[in-house]
Amino acid sequence: MSVYDFSAKNSKGEEISLADYKGKVLVIVNTASKCGFTPQYEELEELYKTYGERGLVVLGFPCNQFAAQEPGTNEEVQTFCRLNYGVSFPIFAKGDVRGETAQPLFKYLTKEKGFKGFDENHPVAKPLMDALQKNFPEYLEGDSIKWNFTKFLIDRKGNVVERYEPTTTPKAMAKDIEALL
Amino acid sequence: MVKVYSMTSCPWCVKAKKYLDSKGIEYQNLNIEEDEAARIACQQLSGDLMVPVITANDKDYVLGFDKEKIDALLGIAG
Repeated sequence: MSVYDFSAKNSKGEEISLADYKGKVLVIVNTASKCGFTPQYEELEELYKTYGERGLVVLGFPCNQFAAQEPGTNEEVQTFCRLNYGVSFPIFAKGDVRGETAQPLFKYLTKEKGFKGFDENHPVAKPLMDALQKNFPEYLEGDSIKWNFTKFLIDRKGNVVERYEPTTTPKAMAKDIEALL
Repeated sequence: MVKVYSMTSCPWCVKAKKYLDSKGIEYQNLNIEEDEAARIACQQLSGDLMVPVITANDKDYVLGFDKEKIDALLGIAG
């Protein structure tokens, strides 16, 4: 089994098989619609632009499950949204990524690569952890997706190679991506 | 007239507008996703496309949902 066994609806509602991306290196990411960790949008776009020619595709899966929830009132956490322009990588239809209603692809991804903790050096790690413990302790259980911008790296054969939590910036994935290209 | 630059799927914009509602402040809601003129005006005012942006005079503004700053900008008594 590989990610090629899964499909998802694109923004037009058409069913797209991930097998369409056979032979590509993929970054699959659950995105916030427009809020929170927005710099990651820009960095993902940068990765796509930098490595696209060599075979990288970024696939964005917008999810509302975390959208209306802010990770606490810590000053480091932003209280605004940025209008995103110029994201040229494919964005799929909105759908769930955690819990029973999660899309099959994300159930598979989280089964393949479990949760290994946040990078505590990232400035958002602590407020995010605090907010999860306080408001959504069940999110911390198991291998489920914890928050927006959890990223999965897929090799050219469809194997799930690595999982990166929201506290890892897309830029920090560049080395791993290059190794697969 | 107070203006609130906002986006549809922005929880902070909802919070900011609810806050103004709770203080009985009337405002004009300008959606920068749907309204190009609003988008340009917002960019000119704040130099970026982040919302909510609240302004009363098209010069001074508050970016983000920050009650204290909104109070100060609009002269709301705490």
